[in-house]
Amino acid sequence: MTTRTAVAGRGYPREGASGEPNLLEIENLMVRFELPAETVRAVSGVSLSVAPSETFALVGESGSGKSVSMLSVMGLLPSPPAVVSGSIRLEGREVLGMPGRLLRRFRGRDVAMVFQEPMSSLNPVHRVGRQIGESLRIHRGVARSEARRQAIHLLDRVGIPSASIRVDDYPHEFSGGMRQRAMIAMALACDPKLLIADEPTTALDVTVQAQIVDLVRELQAEYRLAVVWITHDLGVVAEIADRVAVMYAGRILETGQASDLYRATRHPYTSGLLRSIPRLDRSVTTRLAEIPGAPVRVVSELAACPFDDRCPLAADGCQDALPELEAVGPEGHSSACIHHHEMGSASSLWPEGTAAGRQDSEEQPGDVVVSIRDLRVHFPIIRGMRESRKRAIRAVDGVSLDVVRGKTLGIVGESGCGKTTLGRAMVALVRPTGGTIEINGEPINHRSGRHRKVVQMIFQDPFSAMNPGMRVSDVIAEPLRIHRLADAGTARERVSELLTQVGLPPDSGGRYPHEFSGGQRQRIAVARALAADPEVVVCDEPVSSLDVSVQAQVINLLADLQARTGMAMVFIAHDLAVVRHVSHEVGVMYLGEIVEKAPRDQLYEDPLHPYTKALLEAVPVPEPDYDASQRTRLVGDVPSPADPPAGCRFHTRCPVAVEGLCSTVKPALEEVTPGRWVSCHLVSPPAG
Amino acid sequence: MAQYGVVVVVAVTLNFLLPRLMPGNPLALIAGVDVGMLTPDQRAEIVARVGLDAPLWQQYLRYWGDIFTGDFGFSFRSSRPIVDMIWERLPWTLLITGLSLLVSAVVGVLLGAISAWRRGTKGDLGMLSGMISIESLPSFWLGMVLVSLFAVQWGLLPSFGAVTPASDLEGWAHVWDIISHAILPVTALSIVGTPGVYMTMRYSMLETLGEDYIRTARAKGAGERRVLFGHVARNTIAPVITVLAIRLGFAFGGTVIIETVFSYPGLGRLVFEAVAGRDYPVMQAAFLVFTAAILVANLAADLLYPLIDPRSRTS
Ligand SMILES: Nc1ncnc2c1ncn2[C@@H]1O[C@H](COP(=O)(O)OP(=O)(O)OP(=O)(O)O)[C@@H](O)[C@H]1O
Ligand code: SF4
Ligand code: SF4
Ligand SMILES: [Mg+2]
Repeated sequence: MTTRTAVAGRGYPREGASGEPNLLEIENLMVRFELPAETVRAVSGVSLSVAPSETFALVGESGSGKSVSMLSVMGLLPSPPAVVSGSIRLEGREVLGMPGRLLRRFRGRDVAMVFQEPMSSLNPVHRVGRQIGESLRIHRGVARSEARRQAIHLLDRVGIPSASIRVDDYPHEFSGGMRQRAMIAMALACDPKLLIADEPTTALDVTVQAQIVDLVRELQAEYRLAVVWITHDLGVVAEIADRVAVMYAGRILETGQASDLYRATRHPYTSGLLRSIPRLDRSVTTRLAEIPGAPVRVVSELAACPFDDRCPLAADGCQDALPELEAVGPEGHSSACIHHHEMGSASSLWPEGTAAGRQDSEEQPGDVVVSIRDLRVHFPIIRGMRESRKRAIRAVDGVSLDVVRGKTLGIVGESGCGKTTLGRAMVALVRPTGGTIEINGEPINHRSGRHRKVVQMIFQDPFSAMNPGMRVSDVIAEPLRIHRLADAGTARERVSELLTQVGLPPDSGGRYPHEFSGGQRQRIAVARALAADPEVVVCDEPVSSLDVSVQAQVINLLADLQARTGMAMVFIAHDLAVVRHVSHEVGVMYLGEIVEKAPRDQLYEDPLHPYTKALLEAVPVPEPDYDASQRTRLVGDVPSPADPPAGCRFHTRCPVAVEGLCSTVKPALEEVTPGRWVSCHLVSPPAG
Repeated sequence: MAQYGVVVVVAVTLNFLLPRLMPGNPLALIAGVDVGMLTPDQRAEIVARVGLDAPLWQQYLRYWGDIFTGDFGFSFRSSRPIVDMIWERLPWTLLITGLSLLVSAVVGVLLGAISAWRRGTKGDLGMLSGMISIESLPSFWLGMVLVSLFAVQWGLLPSFGAVTPASDLEGWAHVWDIISHAILPVTALSIVGTPGVYMTMRYSMLETLGEDYIRTARAKGAGERRVLFGHVARNTIAPVITVLAIRLGFAFGGTVIIETVFSYPGLGRLVFEAVAGRDYPVMQAAFLVFTAAILVANLAADLLYPLIDPRSRTS
């Protein structure tokens, strides 16, 4: 049904699987951006349809054309430079080329959209209530007071507490999760038939993401809403979608029922994506399967399979013509791969590969490289010209940890819990307020900077951490120069050696960072971190800005390097599955404190702290029939670290908090079994 | 607010110290007296009168006292109290700077908005390059061209002064007299001031138009007019207001050339005369007034900004 061969009469909606006419039908959509330097072909022949009350997921990596496709439905692409062709029908009416005046009647009334960044998508100078009521005023012409009344009702419906007061707040007074709820309230105002959600949870914590996913699901049933959910997260898709389309390079490569795609994918790309993401519901492998290379950017008309250069199955014919979607299974399952019959099993197509001598379980306790005791980092709150003495943001508030040679310590927690500050303190980028950090038994001395050679850091955004005017070779050699470790000649040798180690051509040193893709830049950052032969590398969200298909490459690279050099790693990330994959020991942070610390498998298989449990339950599982109804959901957001709750800091959100106890008495971090530390009144250490 | 206090103290202190630290006889700089012409006795008497024999800290305190009581000393050219001279000139400068700022603001904001709304079109590019060329015009040249065309060649408007001397006009005739004298200087100042406002407006609005919340507004079905006035306007104008306020502060300084070209009896011309006649006390007083104007304008911007942008309201 989603193939281009089925053509129905214009103006008559074809029927969806449910027998009802389709709500949205896109046929052979093409979008190109005619930029001065080049023409970017963002969408090259996309066809799909969405039935009433169905959830359709559009999955793909960055730049695959997901947003552009759906923005064309809304008529929201800037033109110029966008040139759109094909056909887009909403309830049978062609909207492409419709005059703006008529198109505006659809927008916000029949089709509403929720965007990725809830902060920048709300107008900062208008009250939230006014922005929610605006579409009512536009489409229904209701009075201001009535719009406000309905805005309160909607805010209440999307779960904003004391909606009648918060309705007069400005967006910056809302937390990230509340802003996204407000965006959803705004979208629902006029009772639309179709909701397009463009990565609505990507900017949010897993716990908040879970809340939003639940909310949309609930509302969908209540409002009989069809949802197009754009995402790059295959876990989220499995949780919500009825049908899925996988996009790559502006094309749909595979589409069908979610369960068919997950269980019996007929396209090498989908299969590769599913294999390369670390998952909580599988045992940890030594190495992830990786898709080589990086996503393409299409600048000329496609004449071959766009996945050709990364595909293990690529063979005769793949270069000859652009593969069209063809039916490969029941219920509209189709794939755009001419060799899909030969796919075989996913694991033979995308082998996990063998680790470069990585031994995992050997339990010789290594020596401690970094030892942190009772570390505190408080940031003063600046008000006007004075800083307030009494109040401070307690980013890190009494953390003790050991980092062991050859092992990886993972740190997880929601945003704002102090992960990054902890990492930055280890490399002496922030000055501790209290406590000690010792490296090889020597306290960090902020002046000498000698420890900077021993501890290196890799940042989330590889590009902003590099001077764009420096050649790659100079970027990598910088630590060598700073620590006077090599003369010019040996530095050059060392740079090409490092480039090879991180899997880049040894002669790429002469190029500039902007000439590389995100994944390659992160490799450069890794090479720079390794240049001074550090004993510890602190990685702060090293893969979260990378494409899904590239993440596995960097994760594998780090693991290989650790096996080869024996360095210790601190791996800070919000993605629990990634942390599980790379870590030997994991610490869970909440509001500046470690609430649980345990060897990896103990923590993931049997979480003891209620917060750890809640975090793990919030992670979406890429398995369509996984029963999510039993899970407890964390309510609300992380409280402000400037004024953490008394007693147990988690008691405001804890589902099992003990009344009278948890809100007054602070639980101590205690060793419950050897190597396993938990701070919760309900988890007691063995007696005696 | 504390920043303002600091700036005031620094400005006043500098003003106090400079003449006392400059080489040469401070008496000439402070009392405005032709020192060479005086007998030693007369000189001592003046030193005592202006307090130059007291310890420095006492002089400093006294200086502050003088400023608070509005005593800036005497002009050494005309021997008149400087405060009186400033009060005499200030209204004329306020008149032409105020009017020209209004014109630049209205024209600059309107054209900037049109330019941004039609970004990339011929009209936008034409306007942009026009503004850039106006920006590069020297203001004295512009003033001379206006004088020679409208006053000399066509004789439409008076070429100098703020009123016709000794004409004793009354009522509407008097008002028209003032207006006709102000037209040329205001025109010159407005032309010079518009490109800056235009550029700021155009840039700020382009920035706003690219914001995600504009897309959200369109996604709600808002028409162009609602997008423009409901969402773009207020976000665009906030930075423009700041720029305008700062311009207002500096506008006083900008009048020196134009008022001189048009022989307009405002503060700018006072400064010009003081510089020409080495009337240091007057120059210093004018410096304080200019500083005060900049401070007041900045303060106004600081107070206004939170009204437009709720994010800058402190809780
Ligand atoms: N306004 C624009 N001008 C020029 N090129 C654009 C514009 N918008 C999108 N593109 C290009 O179109 C292509 C597809 O972009 P699109 O935003 O649809 O990707 P996406 O799948 O939504 O990715 P992401 O996950 O990053 O949101 C990209 O190459 C992008 O650079
Ligand atoms: S068509 Fe060829 S290159 Fe494309 S996915 Fe199939 S096998 Fe791979
Ligand atoms: S101490 Fe109480 S509030 Fe804190 S985690 Fe344990 S049960 Fe929950
Ligand atoms: Mg997108």
